[in-house]
Amino acid sequence: MRGALLIAKKEFLELSKDRKTLFFAFVLPFLLYPAIFGMMAKMAKRDEAQNRGKASRIYLADPSGALTGTLQADPKRFELVPKPEGDLKQAVRDQKLDLALEADPGAMEALQRHETFSLTATVDESEHTSELALKRVKEALRNQEKSWIQTRLEDLGASPQLAEPLKLEVKNAADPALEMGKVMGRILPYLLMIMMYTGSMQHGIYATAGEKERHTLLSLMATRLPRNQIILGKLLYIFSMGVIAALLNLLSMGLSIPFMTGGATNSMQALAAVANPMTLGLTFMIMVPLGLFFSNFILLMGIQARNTIEAGSAITPGIFLVVFLGVFTMAPGVDKMPFLTYVPVVNVCLSLRKLFSQQFDQLEYLVAFAMTVGLAGLMTYVSTRLLNREKALFKA
Amino acid sequence: MIQLHEVHKSFSVKDRKTHVAKRIDAVRGISLEVRPGEIYGLLGPNGAGKSTTLRMIAGLMDPDAGSIHVCGHETRRAPEAVRGCLGYLSTDMGVYARFTPRELLRIFGEFQDVDPRIAERRGMHLLEKLQLADFADVKMEGFSSGQKQKVSIARALLHDPKVVIFDEPTTGLDVLTAKTVLDLLGIMREEGRTVIVSTHVMPMVEDICDRVGIIFDGKLHGDAPPRDLLLSRRAKTLDEVFFQLAAESEVEGGH
Repeated sequence: MRGALLIAKKEFLELSKDRKTLFFAFVLPFLLYPAIFGMMAKMAKRDEAQNRGKASRIYLADPSGALTGTLQADPKRFELVPKPEGDLKQAVRDQKLDLALEADPGAMEALQRHETFSLTATVDESEHTSELALKRVKEALRNQEKSWIQTRLEDLGASPQLAEPLKLEVKNAADPALEMGKVMGRILPYLLMIMMYTGSMQHGIYATAGEKERHTLLSLMATRLPRNQIILGKLLYIFSMGVIAALLNLLSMGLSIPFMTGGATNSMQALAAVANPMTLGLTFMIMVPLGLFFSNFILLMGIQARNTIEAGSAITPGIFLVVFLGVFTMAPGVDKMPFLTYVPVVNVCLSLRKLFSQQFDQLEYLVAFAMTVGLAGLMTYVSTRLLNREKALFKA
Repeated sequence: MIQLHEVHKSFSVKDRKTHVAKRIDAVRGISLEVRPGEIYGLLGPNGAGKSTTLRMIAGLMDPDAGSIHVCGHETRRAPEAVRGCLGYLSTDMGVYARFTPRELLRIFGEFQDVDPRIAERRGMHLLEKLQLADFADVKMEGFSSGQKQKVSIARALLHDPKVVIFDEPTTGLDVLTAKTVLDLLGIMREEGRTVIVSTHVMPMVEDICDRVGIIFDGKLHGDAPPRDLLLSRRAKTLDEVFFQLAAESEVEGGH
């Protein structure tokens, strides 16, 4: 094993000489996510504050005056504007106004006769300001409607409760930690897989096909190090880079959560409850063989390729497979298919999903773990066997 | 000591047009022996089987038949022991451009199981001999091919090997650098090392080689000291011997 460690050390030393790659591999993830999420949160906050302080521009066609008073009573939220020239729909689309409301000309009479009148709202659902205007109008009208119903019932001498036979009160029984766990259990395995694969991909190509391309592989093989140790050393490096990339990215994302949640105490407490040492330990334990499996694939493709382009072409489609499997395991109902426990890679995602959702199934986890370890071991054996062949090593 | 006995090696290549696999006999029954304190020159045209022979001696490739012994170890049975006692240099070899020569030698010292202090001392000594000591701490990214070749030579000799294999060591080098390499080969002979050099440069062979073998179509011809070869062939230069053997080989091969 000493030889493998020496090779891995050489790879890391070589990496340490490349400042740009170091920056992109280790520093950027720490800056990227907090910067992105921070900026997004700031923009959303600013947008919300702007919208909150700004009245929605509404054109109201209400000849009978049934609604005018309601909207005029709240000038902070509604600004009634004159009818724009041309088509109303186009005016909304052009953002000359946020919303157009057209009430039935006989609305007031209909109200007095205890009848229904119609109201048409023209809105651009693709525009946030227009949607906000509709939301505000709906709220204002809901209150107005209640008041009209009460008046009607009073006119009829009936109890106001006549129109409200049921009052539904919703109590959220969900544990915030469980809720957070369900979200994380669905997303985390997918993210981990993607990050491990993509994080090790480029380094794998550099350390395998890249060595062939730079004619340095022969100098390694001419040393007294056994060939399988050279291969294992490269595997160790590729695997370590995948794990480091995944951990760094996750840590950075974790640090970004306060930005995403606006520092909400509930979310932070829920996150702390989910990310307990046991859950994280079990996650890491199962991700190790999965990472080895990915690294073996990258190593195998990389060292059999003639050059980095060929290696890249062979390894890149693997991303799509990983994405597909990850997305598949996020689909609802997938966790209720028992046969998936025996499907490699998928079973890792599913057992992690249950782990985070506080539905941990020991047997399922053990099956997934054993299968992944077996698969990783088999791949390592196949890799060392195949890569010992002169044909693979001297292909150039 | 290097001993080759009836060594054969063939490769399978696919014809892109016909998609039929063809067997190419790169080495056909080569036997030779190189003793300590001797420089053996291996000559031959491109594709004759020189590099394949040297790679097999270095334990990088296995022979299909026959046996190779280096420092008393059989290459197939103990390739690591063989590579531990020999220094191999090939023109195909690159250097890790991100490292400085000192860093590279330190790393390869570890690979060859040399004590770090000894590796440092030997490495610097070799760089001085090769007139590269001033560049010991400069990244090799901007090195010329000659400078890279010198670093490769230092790397090959770092673990003080008893057997040295240099595959075309002067290719692409200027006259001065080539002379440094030749001088180094002379020193290695004096130190009692077993040296095999493959080259196209005939005057170099006449100057420094104790014995010469010429490979054509995977077969070894004229395994003898250069002077004996010239006398037996009644030739003035090794170039002439080379052309005579090339003609004989063509007749033999039925071309």
